[in-house]
Amino acid sequence: MLLQQFVNGLSLGGVYAVFAIGFTLVFGVMNVLNLSHGAVFMWSAYVGLEVVRTLALPLPVAIIVAAIAAGLLGVLSEVIIFRPLQRRGAHRWMAMVGSLALARILIGLAQEVFGTQVVRYPDNGLASTVIEIFGARLQLLQIVAIVTALVMVIGLAAFLRLTNVGRAVRTVAFSETVACIVGVPVERIRLATFFVSGALAGGAGVLWSLLFQSVSPFMGDAILLKGLTVLILGGLGNVAGALVGGVLLGLVEVGSVVAVGSSYRDAVGFGLVLLILLTRPTGLFSTQETKRA
Amino acid sequence: MIEFFNAYHNVIDLCLLNSVLAIGCFLLLGVNLFSLATGGLMAIGAYLSIWLTMQQGWGFGPALLAATLAASLAALGLGSLVLRLRGDYFTMATLAFTEVVRVIALNWDSVTGGALGVFGIPKLTETWHLALLLVVVIYLAWAVRNSAIGERMHAVAVDELAVSTAGYDVARIKLAIFTASGAIAGLGGGLAAHLNMFVAPGDFGFLRSFDAVIASVLGGVLNIAGPVIGAVILTVLPEAMRFSAQMREILVGTIILLAVLFLPAGLASLPGLLRRRVTS
Repeated sequence: MLLQQFVNGLSLGGVYAVFAIGFTLVFGVMNVLNLSHGAVFMWSAYVGLEVVRTLALPLPVAIIVAAIAAGLLGVLSEVIIFRPLQRRGAHRWMAMVGSLALARILIGLAQEVFGTQVVRYPDNGLASTVIEIFGARLQLLQIVAIVTALVMVIGLAAFLRLTNVGRAVRTVAFSETVACIVGVPVERIRLATFFVSGALAGGAGVLWSLLFQSVSPFMGDAILLKGLTVLILGGLGNVAGALVGGVLLGLVEVGSVVAVGSSYRDAVGFGLVLLILLTRPTGLFSTQETKRA
Repeated sequence: MIEFFNAYHNVIDLCLLNSVLAIGCFLLLGVNLFSLATGGLMAIGAYLSIWLTMQQGWGFGPALLAATLAASLAALGLGSLVLRLRGDYFTMATLAFTEVVRVIALNWDSVTGGALGVFGIPKLTETWHLALLLVVVIYLAWAVRNSAIGERMHAVAVDELAVSTAGYDVARIKLAIFTASGAIAGLGGGLAAHLNMFVAPGDFGFLRSFDAVIASVLGGVLNIAGPVIGAVILTVLPEAMRFSAQMREILVGTIILLAVLFLPAGLASLPGLLRRRVTS
């Protein structure tokens, strides 16, 4: 029973983590919250659904296609919002408002194209296949979700550590000035960051829809709030922090459901955030912050 | 004129109300605080006032006063805890506050009616209440900004470090402004509840908070007309888009986006930016 809840929390937390890592990655590089991240997550769930349902392609293909589509959406947001605003030297708040407006447009478009009905992925046997381990009954789907999330995280870590582009991303995140001095093509690196960030939201979107058996135009709002929670838990712009924070949030949420029922589930994360901010004002894994905003 | 008013008095009421809320955010933006606590503070004011008028038999005036006091106390408490957080951490903490309030409202059935909300609230809010409140709030905001405190607020927005080095207590200025905006949000919440005759927890989520801030940011933080213009546009736009319910979100989003991208005059309103613009 305990193991079962643990796996529940882990699969939930894995999706949170993948979503939040993309979120925090953009924050690290741009120093701006991209509030359209949730809408990108939602669109990718629909893209994956179309691939599975209309094109009848297997699930792994759907995840890849959805991730690529979401990555392109991320690139689009950089090109139409973040880059022009930054060139103009606009205030950071503008970018936040702009990305929220983009989210509204994307949600409206989704309603227009897919309707407001909640739909689900066709049954693929993953959810109904049950594995018995130590007397706990685990869905194969949960295992697959955890493994997929893990693969994405490891892939990202390898990308950031081992490739030139990844190293450049880390340089830009560290300091734009330094990146310019050492000859990093900052604008292209930004595009790459937005693509990777979007792709992670895409993968998370498909996994989420599989786990919860529901896709709707409004699914992005809830996950955006979770993403913000994880962002604070892990420290803004901190990728490792987002991973730990995401898994932690998943486990704490499931734990709270077991302890006090599901009615306060959504408040638990935010309560945790308030608690942590009051004790450690820059998140659990604080990174250096500039003294002059 | 009378006919126009009768036809559109709902929209006019909402414009007035949203302008008041936007000015609360505008004051905070003036000291570099991007707060998303508006929704939570409104919820406190709204639920307290309807509980008092509907279940305790209080008059409208005292209930509004209680709502205002409760929300300013909540803002004072929250502010003293979260105002020491920097930039985005502060924004997220205020968002967390709003969401926690919303979830509590969702579960506290006896007071808030749970997820279904409260029906049949007596309609006690009149247009002139809102208009009077807006005039008062505008006057107060204008008076504060043109006083010694306003000078200091302005300085805090430009360079906080310099102000505290000069020996002024930045934290106290910020807390005072935050408490005042809490009072505005609480009063606005009480008026909103008795205007719509129906209140549900979903009315006071993070989107509500964002709308108030967006109104200020869109209109411009340069002078007091900014938040009013922003709030009116954001209220009238969706109404004007009634002809296509489907396309409404898309159009409203597009217009906000275009404003952000192409209207730096209404938007590049932060004092520092503006000075750079003028000098260059």
